[in-house]
Amino acid sequence: MTPITPTAEYVLPTGLQGPFAVSTHALTKRFGAALALDAVSLQVPEGAVYVLAGANGAGKTTLLTALLDLVRPDEGRAEVLGLDTHRQGAMARAQIGYMPGSVTAAFPWLRIGQFLSLLGGYYPGWDASYVGHLTERLDLDLNARIRGLSKGQTRRFQLVCALSHRPPVLILDEPTDGLDPEMRDEALGLLSEHLADTGGTVLLATHHAYEVEGLADHVGIMRAGRLILQTPREVLQSQLLIYRADGPEGWAGPAHLDAQVIARARSGREIQWTVWGDKRTVEQAIEASGGVVRSATPLGLDQAVTALMRTKELR
Amino acid sequence: MFVQINPADPRPIYVQIMDEVRRGLAVGTLRPDDPLPSVRQLAAELRLNPNTVAQAYRELERAGLVYVRRGQGTFISAGDAPLASAAKCSVEVAERALVDAYRHGVDVHELVEAIQRLSASDTFPVKAQNR
Repeated sequence: MTPITPTAEYVLPTGLQGPFAVSTHALTKRFGAALALDAVSLQVPEGAVYVLAGANGAGKTTLLTALLDLVRPDEGRAEVLGLDTHRQGAMARAQIGYMPGSVTAAFPWLRIGQFLSLLGGYYPGWDASYVGHLTERLDLDLNARIRGLSKGQTRRFQLVCALSHRPPVLILDEPTDGLDPEMRDEALGLLSEHLADTGGTVLLATHHAYEVEGLADHVGIMRAGRLILQTPREVLQSQLLIYRADGPEGWAGPAHLDAQVIARARSGREIQWTVWGDKRTVEQAIEASGGVVRSATPLGLDQAVTALMRTKELR
Repeated sequence: MFVQINPADPRPIYVQIMDEVRRGLAVGTLRPDDPLPSVRQLAAELRLNPNTVAQAYRELERAGLVYVRRGQGTFISAGDAPLASAAKCSVEVAERALVDAYRHGVDVHELVEAIQRLSASDTFPVKAQNR
């Protein structure tokens, strides 16, 4: 099977329908000569579960931390629920539950319970019984000192902190990283309940898109500081398909597809395309060239993300 | 009601939920006036986005398969729609078999013949359940 270099004649969608809970406008950030964010215009619709995917170093964490004003962009601006994340930073952050991607925890000498009651002092609507429910579900001991927590316990503690005040916007950086399968499952269940109870918005960065397959309704993909695609999940599912077709001896498929070919491979008399485009157009082109389309199936979220991340030529 | 969702299935998740309700009707595990789990409950149980479950329930209501009683939940309808939907199950199973047959280059006659031969054979495990 020989993959063929993709063509760049067809543009992947990067604009979504508002109103947006989180949006950035041509956000750019340089670290020395390195361009960490290259004019990123993120658009997270209200009530969405938006999965931000991309390889290590693609800029996901920089983008998320910029929303908390922990990183100051060189150009562009960001808004959370209409609040400028820099000029109205404190007000914006009050609306956000944030789970960082690293395990460094503040106040290591405190016990979990002490820290949570301190945290509760900042939120007028603090619900101690809900927080108790969270720590129980995620199997955390309120008497344990933060300093002594394992990586997995620290991650669970961070998730409790993020969910504790039922924020309208959750920003989660690799939320399942460091969790064992049982706790990961529990964490996903808590996210479902949080969504059902609050109708809130979730923006989460992950390497493991398959873990949030059932939750995600929007997908954004970053590569080398750029947001190369952002789209509703159902658009991804209807536009990005794998076509398998066979034809007579020597058949090479259509010379041109009016769509974005992401990968093409052949094996004997069968050709397989991974294509972003209109299904009928692609099928008709293949059939007009003498091929028989045996199947056109959508990719799983993880497969789709991987395929799109590999489209090196795309801008 | 047990709902099984397969993320690798090409059907969107809300369609899978709808099909599971139809399956329950066809098999007889769901009957008129039986309650469906709440949106929150089913979403949390299956680790799904509650909007997806709500969409499935909305579409089921539109198809007349379920009705909503305010403050009480969603229930299976008593009318003809659930029965008609259960009868449609055979069409859907046939559709899936046809798509798969086409994918494997098997034509309709070969498929039907194979089904008849298999179901008549003593060794096929499903045979015991045939009416």
